[in-house]
Amino acid sequence: MTGLGIDLGSRQTKFAACDDDRLLWLKTFDTIPFYKQYGSMQDGKLVLDFAAMGILSAEELAATSLVVTGYGRNTLDLAGGRVIPEIQAHVAGAKFQTGLGTFTLLDMGGQDSKVVRVEDGILVDFAMNDKCAASSGRYLENMAKVLDISIEEMSRHYRNPVPLDATCGIFGESELIGKIIEGHSLETLCAGVNKTLIKRVAPMLRRFPQDIIVLTGGVAKSPAFFELLREATGADIRIPEQPQHNGAIGCARVAGA
Amino acid sequence: MVGFTTTIPLEILVAAGRQPVDLNNIFITDPDPQGLIEEAEIAGFPRNICGWIKGLYSVALRRDIREIIAVTEGDCSNTQALMEVLTLNGVATIPFAYPYDRAPETLAHEIGKLADRFGVSIEQCETARLQLAGVRRKVHEIDRLCWEENRVTGGESHYYQVCTSDMNGCVASFETEVDCFLAEARQREPLKQSLRLAYIGVPPIMTGLYEEFEALGARVVFNETQRQFSMPFAVDSLVEQYRRYTYPYDIFTRLDDIEQELARRQVDGVIHYVQSFCFRQIEDLIVRKRLKVPILTLEGDRPGRLDARTRIRIEGFVEMIKARKP
Repeated sequence: MTGLGIDLGSRQTKFAACDDDRLLWLKTFDTIPFYKQYGSMQDGKLVLDFAAMGILSAEELAATSLVVTGYGRNTLDLAGGRVIPEIQAHVAGAKFQTGLGTFTLLDMGGQDSKVVRVEDGILVDFAMNDKCAASSGRYLENMAKVLDISIEEMSRHYRNPVPLDATCGIFGESELIGKIIEGHSLETLCAGVNKTLIKRVAPMLRRFPQDIIVLTGGVAKSPAFFELLREATGADIRIPEQPQHNGAIGCARVAGA
Repeated sequence: MVGFTTTIPLEILVAAGRQPVDLNNIFITDPDPQGLIEEAEIAGFPRNICGWIKGLYSVALRRDIREIIAVTEGDCSNTQALMEVLTLNGVATIPFAYPYDRAPETLAHEIGKLADRFGVSIEQCETARLQLAGVRRKVHEIDRLCWEENRVTGGESHYYQVCTSDMNGCVASFETEVDCFLAEARQREPLKQSLRLAYIGVPPIMTGLYEEFEALGARVVFNETQRQFSMPFAVDSLVEQYRRYTYPYDIFTRLDDIEQELARRQVDGVIHYVQSFCFRQIEDLIVRKRLKVPILTLEGDRPGRLDARTRIRIEGFVEMIKARKP
């Protein structure tokens, strides 16, 4: 193993291990149980109990370089790891996973949505959601809960979306309940929720060229989001093989470089 | 004490022998600026209104400032409602307007009205202007030491320039402070940060911004509106000075000044700070169309230390311009 990457996300902690150009394995933990079970603070640094996680031995860990990114990284300094900015990690991951040099990256995570422009392999501009996370994976999860369905079911529907206009992701819940009472079908309600994500991310996306969009993050797994994004942008949309682990893979690549 | 809501022709208050207080400065340096915002919200100011307006309201009442000049045109229309709420609380409010078209006769009329209100003549104000020009020139020198000689940090240049709006309430003691600082700063070794940033927009509501850039190897060498507060242009009359002052007028006049300074100061990237719920957020799209350097737009809402999300953006931006720099 040449590099281990960790992406400390708001919803999940993702691991990726690389051996030069080969992806060895991926691992995912839910963020809160992960910190409770394996994390502790020693001298102001986050120490992770790799042995308890059962993902690699002390010898392997000692022989591998470790690179970390993600939400936790600003407040937590991971012992033994080099910290890199999130944008840098995601760009490295997208370049490695797609082999592309010029593209617009749309990362839709648990709380963050980011749009990043890469030209000839160089990061040239980016935008991130601020002050509001109503365009995130967490919003989709909440709405699926309100509709009492799985996130997979939610992610199937994109036709005839019911218009949903609440600015706030929490008030959106009562708006959705109102629409249920009005008698709209589950399919069109789901499509409405999916369409809302597009509406929220579109102003940010519009600032960037829409030739090729590389779509990453948990939301990339939604076929409905993919269809609606294609409708809205007309772009050539590429989803890498491991969209959710893109940041962790980028870290592992930077670590191994 | 006479409070004001943004930079006004300070010469009038100096000529009248009144103590000037920029409410923005005493709000943001208050030991508990968050508490001031909360107080305003309890009084009924909406959550989705600019934090500065709420801070100005509470700090004026808490410090018992009984007379306030409210800039109703050229800054922010929320000031009108702020003025009305303060009036309701028994504060004497005096409106002042920068004309959007920068017509000299309209501005002269506004300045004349304000001078009358404080019982001073334009000649007395011109004398005060010459007195203030000495202090302002010293602050311009601090700015020059920041961008040309690299001996002054972005945060220091921000502080001294921002203070010129009210000279910290006392021209003489502020001048002494400036003199001490200049004597010390001139002896310093040049700073090492290799990336040069510009900060444009209103001053930040949060703290720790300049230090964060410097820790990442970048330094702010141009503070746009703060520099404007220090009246950077050499002119020969009060009216002309406040016509050249760019902040209260259109974005295009500001951009002309910004473009000139970006070139002169060899800036690698621009931080455009916008306040949550401020009309100037709209102007970000014009700034982005016009400036040809990388831009990071940062939004601030409430006072406090720089939050983790803003830090993520700053790190990403600094990495980006490092990678682009040949």
